[in-house]
Amino acid sequence: MDELEVILQAVAGGSGRVVLVTGEAGIGKTTLVERFAERHNTKARVFWGACDALFTPRPLGPLYDIAPQTQGELLTLLEQQAPRPSIFSAVVDELQKTKATSITVVEDVHWADEATLDLLKFLGRRISRIKSMLIITYRDDEVPPDHPLRLVLGDLPHRSVARLRLLPLSESGVNTLAERAGRRIEDLYEVTGGNPFFVTEALASKGAGIPSTVRDAVLSRAARLSPASRAVLELVSVVPARTQMWLLDDSIRPDAALLEECVSSGILRYEGDAIAFRHELARRAIADSLSVHRRQSLHALVLTALVNRGSDALLARIVHHAAQAGNSASVLKYAPVAARQAAALSAHRESASHYQIALQYAGELALEERAKLFEHRSYECFLTDQTEEALQARREALEIWKQLGNHLRQGDNLRWISRIQWFLGCGMEAETFGNEAVGVLEKLPPGPELAMAYSNRAQLHMLADEREKAVLWGSRAIELARSFGATEILVHALNNVGTAEYLGGNDEGRVKLEESLRLALANNFQEHAARAFTNIADTALRLHDYKLAMRYVDSCIAYTTEHDLLAAKLYMMAWRARAHFEQGEWDKVADDADSILSVDRVSAITKISALAVLGHLRVRRGDPHAERVLNEARELAMQTRELQRIAPVASARVESAWLKGDVEQVIREARFVLEMAKTHDDPWLHGQFASWIWRAGGDIEISEKIPTPYALQMSGNWRAAAEAWKQLGCPYEEAIALADGDETAQCAALVIFERLGAGPAAERLRHVLRSTGVRGIPRGPRPSTKQNPAGLTTRQMEVLALLAQGLGNAEIAERLFTSIRTIDHHVSTILAKLDARTRAEAVSHAFQSGLLKQNRQSSAPN
Amino acid sequence: MGRYLVERSFPEGLKISINDEGAAMCRMIALNNAEDGVTWIHSYVSDDRKKTYCICDAPSPEAIRRASRRNNLPIDRIRDVRILNPYFYQ
Repeated sequence: MDELEVILQAVAGGSGRVVLVTGEAGIGKTTLVERFAERHNTKARVFWGACDALFTPRPLGPLYDIAPQTQGELLTLLEQQAPRPSIFSAVVDELQKTKATSITVVEDVHWADEATLDLLKFLGRRISRIKSMLIITYRDDEVPPDHPLRLVLGDLPHRSVARLRLLPLSESGVNTLAERAGRRIEDLYEVTGGNPFFVTEALASKGAGIPSTVRDAVLSRAARLSPASRAVLELVSVVPARTQMWLLDDSIRPDAALLEECVSSGILRYEGDAIAFRHELARRAIADSLSVHRRQSLHALVLTALVNRGSDALLARIVHHAAQAGNSASVLKYAPVAARQAAALSAHRESASHYQIALQYAGELALEERAKLFEHRSYECFLTDQTEEALQARREALEIWKQLGNHLRQGDNLRWISRIQWFLGCGMEAETFGNEAVGVLEKLPPGPELAMAYSNRAQLHMLADEREKAVLWGSRAIELARSFGATEILVHALNNVGTAEYLGGNDEGRVKLEESLRLALANNFQEHAARAFTNIADTALRLHDYKLAMRYVDSCIAYTTEHDLLAAKLYMMAWRARAHFEQGEWDKVADDADSILSVDRVSAITKISALAVLGHLRVRRGDPHAERVLNEARELAMQTRELQRIAPVASARVESAWLKGDVEQVIREARFVLEMAKTHDDPWLHGQFASWIWRAGGDIEISEKIPTPYALQMSGNWRAAAEAWKQLGCPYEEAIALADGDETAQCAALVIFERLGAGPAAERLRHVLRSTGVRGIPRGPRPSTKQNPAGLTTRQMEVLALLAQGLGNAEIAERLFTSIRTIDHHVSTILAKLDARTRAEAVSHAFQSGLLKQNRQSSAPN
Repeated sequence: MGRYLVERSFPEGLKISINDEGAAMCRMIALNNAEDGVTWIHSYVSDDRKKTYCICDAPSPEAIRRASRRNNLPIDRIRDVRILNPYFYQ
């Protein structure tokens, strides 16, 4: 409670904060937040919303709770199903409307839908500019590492987040409660584990001893109610979260006296215009104690009442109760509507789940309707990275359309399967299905489906570096798309043709790509915009135009972050890692590769790039485990059959063989990729692998197509080659070229290798120099970060700077928007690192060593 | 988590004294390591103090490099190693 007060003071000072209140079920999260809100509801504006335990949660459920508590246009916007961005902005406007501080509580977000999570992220990013406190509660023990909530929390700006983890009661705390209740029960602490809710229930159960589970405690309390009151209790138990009074009246019309009995027994309580269990655990206990038949009939009663109410906001709840009541007609009627509503709010995960429920009850549905449900589900799964599920649903749809003899839908589904297979890294299947789609659709009069099937083929050829075919199929797609005015297909096709042409050295291609990007941005086609950004960036990179590449890499990462396009962002980060690698900024490579590989569901394509560059980095540094990651990358890359995935892995393996002196392997591996590069007419890769064979003493024909630096190198002009690499900004390649030169050049190469930390290449060159009798071989400068000799982190430097200003831990915590406990921890680390016994001593050491003087300006918080 | 041998060179000799100052320095290094999940087990120092061989557990070679960067410690080479104990066969 005290921590909440401290944070509220900071918020009242003008910079808002997100507070995460966590702990297991029954630990007292709600109670704490309620007390806090009660204490401030006269001065601050308090809004309250909760997520509930529906099988498929309501999109923006908590916001529907909050909207009626505001006087603004929020409710109108929600009712009109306004576009999401305007709803989100309206929430921020509402919070900023008056000068008063606002406290917004969103409870139980471990059950949140995707749209609500997006809203929390949206608010979290803007909170520091609003006088508002956003309290989020969740059960941290029910949020596994791959839960979407983790991503949202990870993305919140650290400075504006505070965490409050509630711990169980201590043994003496439990004893105090027991004494206060006038009871003395043995083992109460051991059995309840100090869970406050369990303790309260156990103390209220009145029986001898302690009920062995929280469920027994709740049931024994409920057993003392009259049968009529118990019936009310049972109905309330099948409704997640809380039961509105109107719902109760429309379903069983209970006598007021019965409600009173439930409330006075301490099991239910009033919450505004609703009634609810005092705790979710109690609701579950009662609901689980019902017979299947009884439970179904109660769900049916609730379903009827909800349907009669006829409101869109109730859709998710209707579907939930229809499924629980086993009412397939209602599920089939409402689940697809709920799915569309969820998708419109960008709650794609929930949408996919609603379609899934509908399909479970679709046994008697007309085949055509079923096929459409599968198509919708596939699309929603595809958008939420449930790629295997997306593929399965497409296959089901395809089968049905085949049975029905509908060629148009067959063709379109084949095209989709091709696309999904590519995502799964299966190049061969992607190609087969892509060709089949075109074959089926070409027999019909041309339409948008055919245009898209052409464009899909163009895309596959482009990705496989079959540029002529890509341009051929893509141009057909462009022509058709223009004739139908199908902008989205046009954007797609322009991208494919543009990338293929640009990569072939034709600047027309870049113009097409930029047009695709412009159209995508203008029409808010976010996926297409991201693809245009990435294709310009990675093509520029493959052409070694680092300046242009980095410009698009940066815009792409900013754009994909802003629009939550995680897959595209990770893909771009993998290319950024490669760009840094080639430009000799190796420490940055490891940072990007590590963050990509720590994501669970990263796509195969992105993983290949990250593994390849990490493996290559280890080869050049002489670090262990290069082979391990390269083997994994190679296996995945071979499956895609794409030159641009295979070449980086091969490049690392070839270099590794060369550094070990295994020239035969160099020639064998390089020859394989060289042939592929020739087939696909990729000059840079042609040059790279030809020069490896040349270096290893193999036979090689010097073609005109080989780019300048490689051509110069192979013709013996190492000086000009080194200069060319220097101009391009590739220091390692520059050093490789210099190593072919005279003694002075070789010493210069050694200095570069040492600076980069390229141990094996340096060692190899030193060996050459020694064997030719050169003396005074230089030792290059060692990379070290002298600016911070004590090894303090940025955060610790910030704390140190504030210590120097004489601030106490509480004040520092407030300045840095974090808990006092965290600051305590930082301070003790700083003392240890500076070998100081007191804070004053730490500050004086810091000044003596120059640590504070030189960092003071940059690290003092503004 | 793997076990690694990290070779380092100190051309001017490693300056670490056997007193409070030395203890503090080791503590600082351990703290910096911990931030990257690196555990320094022990080191062997050559007689002229120009080479050290450090045994540590780490999630990856990159983690060792990151931690060493913060500690201002040079790296010549990182090798992954296994334990071989002469009494194992007895």
